[in-house]
Amino acid sequence: MTTVAAAPATTETRWRFFRRNAPYLIVYALILVIAVFGTLSSERFLTDRNLLNVFRQTAFLGTIALGQTLVILTGGIDLSVGSLVKLSVLVSAILMNGESSNMGVAIAATLGLGVLVGFIHGLLITRLNVPPFVVTLGSYSILYGIALTITTNPIGRAAPEMLRFYDLRIGPIYAPTIVFIILLVALSFVLRRTTFGRYIYAVGGNEQVARLSGIPVKRVKFGVYILCSLLASLTGLFWLSRMGIGDPVIGDGLELQTITAAILGGTSLFGGRGSLWGTLGGALLLSLTANVLVVLNVNQWIQQLIQGAIILTAVALYKQKSR
Amino acid sequence: MTDTSPDTILEMRQIAKAFAGVQALKGVSFSCRAGQVHALVGENGAGKSTLMKILAGAYQPDSGEIIYKGRRYTSLSTREALDNGIRIIYQELNLLPYMTVAENIFLGREPRTGLGLIDTKKLYADAEAILQRLEMPLDVRQPVGELTVARQQMVEIAKALSQRADVIVMDEPSAILAGHELETLFSVVESLVRQGVAVIYISHRLDEVFRIANEVTVLKDGQVVGTHPIEALTRAQLIQMMVGRSLDEAFPHGQPRRGAPVLTVEGVTTAAVRDIHLTLHAGEIVGLAGLVGSGRTELARALFGADRLQSGTVWLNGEVVTLSSPAQAVDAGIALVPEDRKTQGLFMELPIRNNITLTVLDKLTRYGVIRRRAEAERVDQARRELAIAMASASAEVQYLSGGNQQKVVLSKWLARAPKVIILDEPTRGIDVGAKFEIYQLMRQLTEQGVAILMISSELTEILGMSDRILVMRDGRIVGELAREEATEERVMQLATTGSLLPATTELPGYTGSDA
Repeated sequence: MTTVAAAPATTETRWRFFRRNAPYLIVYALILVIAVFGTLSSERFLTDRNLLNVFRQTAFLGTIALGQTLVILTGGIDLSVGSLVKLSVLVSAILMNGESSNMGVAIAATLGLGVLVGFIHGLLITRLNVPPFVVTLGSYSILYGIALTITTNPIGRAAPEMLRFYDLRIGPIYAPTIVFIILLVALSFVLRRTTFGRYIYAVGGNEQVARLSGIPVKRVKFGVYILCSLLASLTGLFWLSRMGIGDPVIGDGLELQTITAAILGGTSLFGGRGSLWGTLGGALLLSLTANVLVVLNVNQWIQQLIQGAIILTAVALYKQKSR
Repeated sequence: MTDTSPDTILEMRQIAKAFAGVQALKGVSFSCRAGQVHALVGENGAGKSTLMKILAGAYQPDSGEIIYKGRRYTSLSTREALDNGIRIIYQELNLLPYMTVAENIFLGREPRTGLGLIDTKKLYADAEAILQRLEMPLDVRQPVGELTVARQQMVEIAKALSQRADVIVMDEPSAILAGHELETLFSVVESLVRQGVAVIYISHRLDEVFRIANEVTVLKDGQVVGTHPIEALTRAQLIQMMVGRSLDEAFPHGQPRRGAPVLTVEGVTTAAVRDIHLTLHAGEIVGLAGLVGSGRTELARALFGADRLQSGTVWLNGEVVTLSSPAQAVDAGIALVPEDRKTQGLFMELPIRNNITLTVLDKLTRYGVIRRRAEAERVDQARRELAIAMASASAEVQYLSGGNQQKVVLSKWLARAPKVIILDEPTRGIDVGAKFEIYQLMRQLTEQGVAILMISSELTEILGMSDRILVMRDGRIVGELAREEATEERVMQLATTGSLLPATTELPGYTGSDA
């Protein structure tokens, strides 16, 4: 006698499916609502040019949000990503100094900086048992301080190839968007199909059980913090290619935006639940909303207000569906 | 039947209560008198807590009545219980560590000044008065977190008694205390009794019962075995009353096939256990008995590398192993099925599949990528071997029944083919059918040469399954019994007193409380 492999589609299992996936359904429904609203209110919204631009902006926020999601899935948080982006832009611009010949070294050094920062986070969190919130709050401030000690004015210059990267297209799609999509697909695969990915959910789901199951909890944490910082320094390089210069105003507020994207995408702040596709939805929703408001010439303070309202609406809806 | 002496303050008559078809209390009658300590004893699941929760108003009885201070109630509400001076002191402490003793005592009921601010002067003065009345030597201004556990418990008691109390229930108050802290507790109880309070004292530890109780009621399987003045009983008689007839529960039979020693432990000491020596042989089930808090779980954690060893050596198959993390223990071939599967054994919100394969992912990957088919085969194998009833491997574990959840925990470990399996309360909260399946599985494993260490609070399970029984008390192994010589009485004696008494004498007939 073999048991049935698939669950019968009773109302209960259907309801359960809906409940489990409610955040994704809601975030993509909200995207649709905003898109329809944008289309109806302005002719400039539904154009190739505008949409491709929105996707490119999503790549900037989304790349770090991927790392942030991995960290949050383990039950942690990384408040330092904004400052790290800022410092990465400056370091890469200074080292590159407009010369193609410096580009390799500058990119390697910038990404190396990310790995180093993530490694230090891992060290403090796993060896000294300092809560991630405190560790990354500290490094947020330290990296911010270093960046503004280096300069308060734009500094350095991107190499010409670097500048071209921002506007480079493959088919109709901009290069940063493509890099982001590759990262999204690859990391999703890692989460779902590799030991490391399974361990991430396990650590966030219940650290005690994970430890008692013989999972190398510390190594998993090292992994996610290093990945998150690495993605932040990569985003610093994106910004350099966009600005062409090391501008110290870049990166402000990114930590909160990435956390927002993850939450909108249904990732639980307690860890163990969520997905990168949800985070994509969250990042898209944020950049789409910002775009519609810009297209409609709404001033940026009102933009902040509206974004806050969206976050509260979305999360209130999730809570409704998950009870 | 029940005697109603003039100072009887509380009488519970023929109380019955069922939960989802399980009869937890079957007509229990119980009474207590002012200025007396009445001990309530019985094994886990005997119905002690249910009875006390009915008294506290947390549960409503299905039938029976409560006569309290001359008034008749069919049930009490929590409000009624509190307003009429019934106080329960639970095992767990609910105190705020950074607040002072006085602030904790009056939490939520702080005295106010005319302006509505907290009247600090009155707060401390009142607290001082309460502590004086209870003869508790505490500093009202000291933060609670700086106190020893015994003194924190005093604060908890003072908090419960800061308003008028006539009946106080103490639910295993000694479970969290070390031996030398008991005297503090006893002196508090004695001072309460002097003030005419009726104390209902729940405990597993017989020394205490004989030390402070005036009367004792034994509960078993939701029924009163008997109520007696403490002077009328010997220790051996009380033990026999608690254990009672042996349940004719079926345990699968198997020939013990004791092989070579697998795990040898010498002189292991941790923060919670002292000087542990034991040897597990291939193919045997060793039962680890003892009361809650005797160090059984802590010993399991030590052998699994979850708690730090202060000293001692562990050999596995003749080689010394370092056990400084669970990961090392897992690699060495040790598995631990923890006592609380919900918080220590399973990822409740992850799919069944992920729970089953988590410990063997390294064997299911190619180039670091999990092979879906291999994983599905592993899940299917577990389902067949353990007869796990599930609709889909993608469903979250939390939707499975207790028995099936426990099978998932087991399958997670069996996949690694461990040499030693430590089972901590393997059948807690599991229905009878699933219990039997788990016992069968344990037998099968021993036939394959696995050594099993089984911790259990159910004596019938210890006696029915173990080839050998080790008994712990106060962090030490105090005795070993071979299967043939083990009886419930002997295990209980070792667990409660640490030594074996001469053979038990014949008991007089027990019929209610006519003593």
